[in-house]
Amino acid sequence: MKEINYLNFKHNMKLFRIFSYISTGLTYSLIFIGGMVRVSGAGMGCPDWPKCFDRWIPPTNIHQVPEQYVDQFNLVLAWIEYCNRLFGALVGLTITITLIFALRYYSHVSSIKWPILMAFFLTLVEGWLGAVLVHTVLNPVTITLHLLLALIIVMLLLYAAQEAYYIQNPEIEKSSRYPANIGWLFGLLSFALITEIILGTEIRGGLEMIRKENPLVESEFLLYMLGPFKYAHTILGFLIAGISGLLWYYLVKKSMNPSSLIMQSSTLILIFIMIQIISGEILVFFELVPIIQLFHLWIASWILGLVSIQYCAWKKSLLSHE
Amino acid sequence: MSKLVYYFIFFVLIMGIGANWVINKANSSYEFPIKKPVPEFSFYNQDGKLFSEKNLEDKITILDFFFTSCAGPCPIMAYNMKELYHDFSKIQEIQFVSITVDPKIDSETKLKQYAEVQGVYDSRWQFLFSDLDSIKNLKRNGFMLYADELPQGHAVKFVLIDQNGLIRKYFDGTDDASIASLRKDITYLAKNLKF
Repeated sequence: MKEINYLNFKHNMKLFRIFSYISTGLTYSLIFIGGMVRVSGAGMGCPDWPKCFDRWIPPTNIHQVPEQYVDQFNLVLAWIEYCNRLFGALVGLTITITLIFALRYYSHVSSIKWPILMAFFLTLVEGWLGAVLVHTVLNPVTITLHLLLALIIVMLLLYAAQEAYYIQNPEIEKSSRYPANIGWLFGLLSFALITEIILGTEIRGGLEMIRKENPLVESEFLLYMLGPFKYAHTILGFLIAGISGLLWYYLVKKSMNPSSLIMQSSTLILIFIMIQIISGEILVFFELVPIIQLFHLWIASWILGLVSIQYCAWKKSLLSHE
Repeated sequence: MSKLVYYFIFFVLIMGIGANWVINKANSSYEFPIKKPVPEFSFYNQDGKLFSEKNLEDKITILDFFFTSCAGPCPIMAYNMKELYHDFSKIQEIQFVSITVDPKIDSETKLKQYAEVQGVYDSRWQFLFSDLDSIKNLKRNGFMLYADELPQGHAVKFVLIDQNGLIRKYFDGTDDASIASLRKDITYLAKNLKF
């Protein structure tokens, strides 16, 4: 009887982990889709919220559009924005299911319960922010906040999933020993990354302002018109490369028996930062290609997630040696 | 490399190809149906100079009907028109035309004062007047807009006219979302005008 209970418990824990992985993956996809909405100019594809042109399923031709919205109807943009909303609803649903599993099987583990509860609450705020965005016709501050909350949600989900993994695999990270005094480096790197992402969104906002006033200017001149502001983004980018290099040095070279998770995440962070520097320079020196802009943002969100994974593994190792 | 890495690279590639397709589709999705040409008219502007449909040629025009003493939607329309006027200040090929529907009150002097209040400093924003019948006729038959019970019953539409003097689209001059849509369309038309 005891064995059946144990197997059930293991099965349920696995179920929670699967859903936390699905939620994380879908949230990352949603960040990508949100960025796609932005670069394709479909943010106002649906002029109302939660409905789209006063319909639950967007119109497929102009004759289905209510009179007051006829001037704003663009079939492609409406469906892009609608797919974004549908995907958002799917993410909301999976996070809710993850929360139910968390409350059911991990209500005694605060390092799982609270991050998931927080992620669920922030998801509700995200839905509300989506409505605010439409009502304020894409207020730039709200757009940045919308992205930042998505990044926090994905980090919370990752953290909870990793904690659940360690509960099932308590031996992992026990044989590893990392320097204990590098906690500040994780904080500094996360802070620099979030600042960098905000700076990036500000650059994009600034470019949109310039483009609005100078719609006929070729994209390679737009960055010149933005002035010295863009250099802050580049300089911070190189600083981030330095901080993550230092973190890699401590976690991979100055540690005893580092886990494969730590080694892989540390190396991946460096690879992604290199890709970011190259793609950033392409955007500055060649052309503002929308698809590169989109990946530039998406990869930044991956780096943030990897830092969260690194931190969680490092902390786990420290706690297991206390 | 493990299978997972291959799956991940494949997934990212698919996302990239899909997003590229969507972005291209979005960029080519702007439709500009031609409603009809602006008919002949000959009105006076705030400087007493003639302004006719010929002045619409080779320019992108945003046109509305208003009156200076209107306290209803006109201030919102004027505010939105003013924003567009300033935002597109670097492009001489984009012009703004506001036609009064209350010519009894809105004389040349009155329109000139009104233009100053709006911060108009060049010829890109014209304020026109004529006799009431000509205005009514242009509004109803030329622009297919409601023209009864003037001046109060004037429409709140902004009309987008292309460089060939063809009416392309109508926008709600009091609605932010509609104005955002108008901005995109002006930019799109302006790009095609130049390049």
